Amino acid sequence: MTPRRTILGPALAGFALALGSHPEVARRLAVTLGAEPRRALPLDRLLELGLNHLALAGIGLALVALMGIGLGILATRDFAAPLRAGIDGAAAAAQAVPPVVMVALALPVLGFGGPPTVLALVAYSIMPMLRGTVGAIEAVSPEARQAAIAIGLSPRQVLLQVELPLAAGIILDTFRTALVLAVATTAVGGLAGASTLGTPIVAGLQNQNLVPMLQGAAATAALALLCDAALLAAASRLRRWNIPAGRGATCP
Amino acid sequence: MNGRTPQAAAIGASLSGATLLVGVLYGLPVLRIAANRLVVGLPFAAADLPGWTIDAAAGLGAGGLLILGAVRGRAGAGLAVALLATALALLVQALGAGAAELIAGRPPAVRASLGSGAWLAVGVLGTSLALAIRASRLPWLGPAVLGASAVLGTLAWQAGSLAALSLAVEYEARREVVGAALGRHLLLSLGAVLLAGLVAALLAAPRRGRGVVDLAVSGIQVVPAIALFGGLVALISGLLNAAPTLRDWGFSALGPAPALLGTAAYLLLPLRRGLTAALDAPDPAVLDAATAMGLTPREILMRIRLPLGAPILIGALRVALVQSFGLATLGALVGAGGLGQVVFDGMAQFAPDLILLGAIPIVLLSFAADQALGVAEAGARRRWPA
Repeated sequence: MTPRRTILGPALAGFALALGSHPEVARRLAVTLGAEPRRALPLDRLLELGLNHLALAGIGLALVALMGIGLGILATRDFAAPLRAGIDGAAAAAQAVPPVVMVALALPVLGFGGPPTVLALVAYSIMPMLRGTVGAIEAVSPEARQAAIAIGLSPRQVLLQVELPLAAGIILDTFRTALVLAVATTAVGGLAGASTLGTPIVAGLQNQNLVPMLQGAAATAALALLCDAALLAAASRLRRWNIPAGRGATCP
Repeated sequence: MNGRTPQAAAIGASLSGATLLVGVLYGLPVLRIAANRLVVGLPFAAADLPGWTIDAAAGLGAGGLLILGAVRGRAGAGLAVALLATALALLVQALGAGAAELIAGRPPAVRASLGSGAWLAVGVLGTSLALAIRASRLPWLGPAVLGASAVLGTLAWQAGSLAALSLAVEYEARREVVGAALGRHLLLSLGAVLLAGLVAALLAAPRRGRGVVDLAVSGIQVVPAIALFGGLVALISGLLNAAPTLRDWGFSALGPAPALLGTAAYLLLPLRRGLTAALDAPDPAVLDAATAMGLTPREILMRIRLPLGAPILIGALRVALVQSFGLATLGALVGAGGLGQVVFDGMAQFAPDLILLGAIPIVLLSFAADQALGVAEAGARRRWPA
C-alpha cells in the first residue's frame, strides 16, 4: 500500500520544477540569483529536447526491461541454478562503473550522439533489473509454487499464472529504479553529444550562462520526478488488484 | 534426477565460456596499431603476435574454465583459480611483448592500443576468476589473488614489459596530471562521505519531522546528478551574489563546493538508512537488560547499539563510498577536478586511451572500496554476531 502523499510529493515537485524550466520563469529566477538576464532556451527547443530525452530513455529502458526480465526468468529456471550465484557478483561489479564513465567508454566505440547514451544506459541498468527480477521470482513462496504444480499446471502455466503475477510488484519497483537511472543517464548523454535535457546544462556551464543551465536542470529533474510519480501510481494500482489473488495463492 | 540438470548446466556454461574465450582471442583483433593517438589503428590478430605466449594463455584459460565446470569441490575450484590467474598473467605479458614487437623501429607517434578481443578476453578471464574464487569458498583466496596481481603488475611495469602499450605511453605523458586528479578525486569523495555522515548523524537525533526528512532524502535520489550539480552551481552563485564576503573565504560557484554538496546529498539515503537500522539492531530485551543493569544511555549507545549495529553501519558505508567515487566523476563538470576531468578531456579530444586513463582508476577505486568494506563487514559480523 503506497500512501498517497508519497505519490503526491514527487508529482508536485515535478510540476513545480517543470514550471521553473519555462524560459520566462527561469530568466526571472536567474535574475533573482543575481545573474545577468541572458538568452533563454525557447520553449519549442526545450520541448524538442525533452521529447528526444524521453525517446532515448524509452528505447534504452525497453531494451533493459526486455533483456533484464527475460534473462531473469531464464535464470530462475531449474537448469540455470549454478549460474545464479554469479548474478549478484556481476551486478555489483557492473555498478562499479558509473554512468558517466559508461557513456565515456561507449563514445570511441559508437561515436557522438544517441547510440553511446543508449549503450551506457543498457550496460548500467541491465544487471540491477536482472537481479531484481531473479529476487522477485525467488521471493514467491514455495508453497504457492508447489500447490500450482500439484494441481497439475505445466511449468509454463506456473510461470505465467503464479510466479509472474506474484512477482510483479517487486519487478515493477525494480523497473522504477531503472527508469530513474535511465532519465539520469540520458541527461549525462548530453556530454556525448546526444540532444537531451542535459545539453543545455552542459552548454550553460561552458558558456557561464545561468539561464539555460537552470532550465535544463529543472526540466531534467521534473521529468525524473514525474516519471517516478507515474510509476508509483501504477504500482499502487497494480498492488490493489493483486493483493487478493496473492493472499489466496500464498496461504492455501 | 534434480542434481543432474544443474551439473550439466555448469558444464555447458563453462564450455560456452571456454568457447567464448578462444573465439574472442582468435576471432577479434587483440591489438591495433595506429599512426597516432587519435586515429583508429589497423587490427592485428593473435596469430600475428610473436611467440606462443598468447596461445598458452588461451589454452590455460579454457582449461581452467572447463575444470571449474566439470570438477566439483574445493580442489577443482583451486586448480581453476591457479590456471585462470596464470592465463591472465600470460595474456597481459603477451600483449605487452606483442605491442613492443609491432611498433619496434617505427616513428614515436605510432601507438599500439588494445583491441576488442584483448578487452573481452580480459573480461572473460577476470569474471571466471572471480567465480572460481567464490566457488573455492576460501575467504583469503580473493585478497591473495588481488595482492599477487598487484605485485606482479608492478614488477611488469617496472621491467617495462607494458611500456609499448598506448595506455602506458599516455600515462607516462600525464603522470602528474593523473596523480593529482586521483588525489583530488579521493579528497572529494571521502569529503562527501564525511559530510553526509555528519548530516545523517545530526538528522538521526530528532524524532520530530522524521517523515518530511525521509521524503526529502529519498526524493533527492530521483533527481539526476547532472541536474542537481547544475542547480547547485546556480544556487551557490546566487548566495555569493547576496553575500560577497564569502568569496573572500575562497568559496566559488564553480569548483569543489557544488560537487561536494551534490555528492553528499545522494549519500544521505544509504547512510541514514544504515544508521537507523544499525541503532535499531539490538533486541529490545538486550536493551532492557542493559538498562536494568544500570547502564547510562550513553553507555548503551557506545557498548551495545554501535557494536551490534557495526556490520550494518559498515555495509551502509560501503554503498555510500562506491556511490561517492562514481558521483565525484561528474564533479569535473562543475569544475571540481578529479578523475572525471581526465575522462572529459579524453572525450573532448576523442582520445580513447585518455578516457580509459581516467576511467580505469575510478572503476578500480570503486571495486577496491567494495571488496575491502565487504571483508570488513563480514569480519564485524563474525566479531559481533547479531
